[in-house]
Amino acid sequence: MWILKFLPDWIFHGIFLVGLIGFAATYLFKYIPFPFIFVYRKPIQIASVLAIIFGTFMSGASYDNNAWEARVKEMEAKVAKAEVESKEANVKIDNKVQQQKTKIVEKQVVVKQYIDREVIKYDNSCVIPKEFVEVHNKAATK
Amino acid sequence: MKYLILVLMLVGCSTTVPVTSKFPEPPKYSLQTCPNLQLLKDESKLSEVATTVTINYSTYYECAVKNDGWIEWYQIQKHIYESVK
Repeated sequence: MWILKFLPDWIFHGIFLVGLIGFAATYLFKYIPFPFIFVYRKPIQIASVLAIIFGTFMSGASYDNNAWEARVKEMEAKVAKAEVESKEANVKIDNKVQQQKTKIVEKQVVVKQYIDREVIKYDNSCVIPKEFVEVHNKAATK
Repeated sequence: MKYLILVLMLVGCSTTVPVTSKFPEPPKYSLQTCPNLQLLKDESKLSEVATTVTINYSTYYECAVKNDGWIEWYQIQKHIYESVK
């Protein structure tokens, strides 16, 4: 609420208190020996009631506003923490995936070396049929 | 006076929560698409067949690792997201 941004909370508690005191004071006017004050009894009562209503409303609004601000700060802290956790998790997953990919590549190199050393001996004795190549390529194509 | 009170009461409803969380960044590797599998040339030799099959298996496993990474990333991000409440 805009009014809460530039007025401190105690102002609203003060308005409520002034209203309460003003309202209570109007009942003491008859004991004061100045009759001209009694003329202002009704306007003071009305102003006091308005002050009590305004003070009560604004105190509630201020409490609510403070509660929301605290919640916002709490959420901001949680979101910031979550962003850090998210980045840390990404680094961990990245490293894990890189390690696994390296293992796959290493294994591929070993198998290729074996092929170049052992399987190559059977190149001339084993003829690959055309149908085998076709069926392999069909399976490997999307 | 009653309009003033009405306005004051209505401004009490204008509370907004300006907290937004960014969509988490995906891991670096995960945005690369899986490559196509290699095909055999006509009249391939046995060693060439074996090499192509080996490369294709490696391609599959690299892709599987990336997919597993995505699953893990999702589970972790979901857990983090659910903890922010």
